[in-house]
Amino acid sequence: MQLWQVLIDNFPRFRDGFLVTCQLVGVSFVIALGVGLVIAGLRVQPLRSLKWVGAVYVEFFRNIPLLVLLFISFAGLRRAGINIGAFAAGTGALGLYTAAYVAETVRSGVFAVGRGQVEASLSIGFTYPQTLRRVVLPQAVRTVIPPLGNITIAMIKNSAIIGAVLAIAQDILKEARLINARTFQTNEVFFWAAIGYLILTVTATVAVRYLERRLVIRR
Amino acid sequence: MGAEGTGPNVAASNGHLVVLDKVTKSFGATTVLTEIDLAVSKGEAIVVAGPSGSGKSTMLRCINALETIDSGEIFFDGKAISAAGKGIYRLRAEIGMVFQQFNLFPHKSVLQNITLGPTEIRELSRKDAEDRARKLLERVGIPEKADAYPVDLSGGQQQRVAIARALAMEPKLMLFDEPTSALDPEMIREVLDVMRDLARSGMTMIVVTHEMGFAREVCDRLVFIDEGAIVEQGPPEEFFKSAQSERARDFVDKIIHH
Repeated sequence: MQLWQVLIDNFPRFRDGFLVTCQLVGVSFVIALGVGLVIAGLRVQPLRSLKWVGAVYVEFFRNIPLLVLLFISFAGLRRAGINIGAFAAGTGALGLYTAAYVAETVRSGVFAVGRGQVEASLSIGFTYPQTLRRVVLPQAVRTVIPPLGNITIAMIKNSAIIGAVLAIAQDILKEARLINARTFQTNEVFFWAAIGYLILTVTATVAVRYLERRLVIRR
Repeated sequence: MGAEGTGPNVAASNGHLVVLDKVTKSFGATTVLTEIDLAVSKGEAIVVAGPSGSGKSTMLRCINALETIDSGEIFFDGKAISAAGKGIYRLRAEIGMVFQQFNLFPHKSVLQNITLGPTEIRELSRKDAEDRARKLLERVGIPEKADAYPVDLSGGQQQRVAIARALAMEPKLMLFDEPTSALDPEMIREVLDVMRDLARSGMTMIVVTHEMGFAREVCDRLVFIDEGAIVEQGPPEEFFKSAQSERARDFVDKIIHH
């Protein structure tokens, strides 16, 4: 069984690569969700100028290829004298890129929350920001859990680009390429790399299903 | 708050809890309210009636500033609504509102719906807020539904929770915007019963409704609005027996003898 032999012989490298990918994905996810919610908030609040800031953010990060963003965040910034390191550059670019999609999705969820909810909240005495935070956003986020799951899965797969571009991040893909360079067992090596990504994406799918069952609002 | 009881606003409101002074409101080119004058005393229960599209809901929504008025002024508890600025949020907390579509928060349990305002705005402790909420649920007749979610309740039960949610802020005024119009006939009674008890307890209420039985039995004064103007007002019995204007008689005919 050559397939298993490849895994057993190179297990520490596969494992380390997997853990690095987990870190990349975890940090990017936190950035994407945090920044995405703030940008969505900017886009749905009433002030024109702040709306505009949110719109510019979304159009900038959504309309530039992730690969280009990665070059800018790593090589570009370093050449400009700002060296933030490969990990920060990679997770920053992936997180900010994904945040644009999160923002658009949450925004659509906000508009799905009826005008009546806002009026009920205001009539209790809440301010607009309180209404957004306590009534609208919690409902919006629950409504968009399934599409946020899709975005998360896309992000996990996009994390492979970090390993491909930023030679310092030793993620699953990078380790697989190193192992392949030594063993030439290309099919077997990338089979296990694919399994590594599947473990993450399937876990994400299960987590989304769980959250859906727990949180999605029955109407 | 320190200025309470002084200043020109109080003179204008003349001891009334709510005063509408020549209130005019348009949506674009359509004038919805034309120079509405109305004064509501503390403890008074008023029913606002009129054909649909006559502006009664808009008038109600202007009182707690869900709609802004174009001219005139509205005074609540001696304070001009248009001059409230950011204080409008504080003012709204004093005015409970019940909507036709209930508008309960679907992501929160019945208890959470009722405690949200008191804990966040009145800064009540969770325990005090929950005690108050349970008492209110008792009062509206559904103490067993505290942990249910809005989706699990019938329309009548949802509307009673909405009333409890508004009362939890201990408002000085309650506004009802067609509270029974979205309900099945068998549920209308249970909501009207709660409203009747509320009126009898001395709550100041302005109720937009087509329930003329409720008007006759409960309210102190009936205000008839048509085409954005108050056509006439008075004790409900008088209105039903001998409305002065043709439009009002027409309305009574349609609604009583349909």
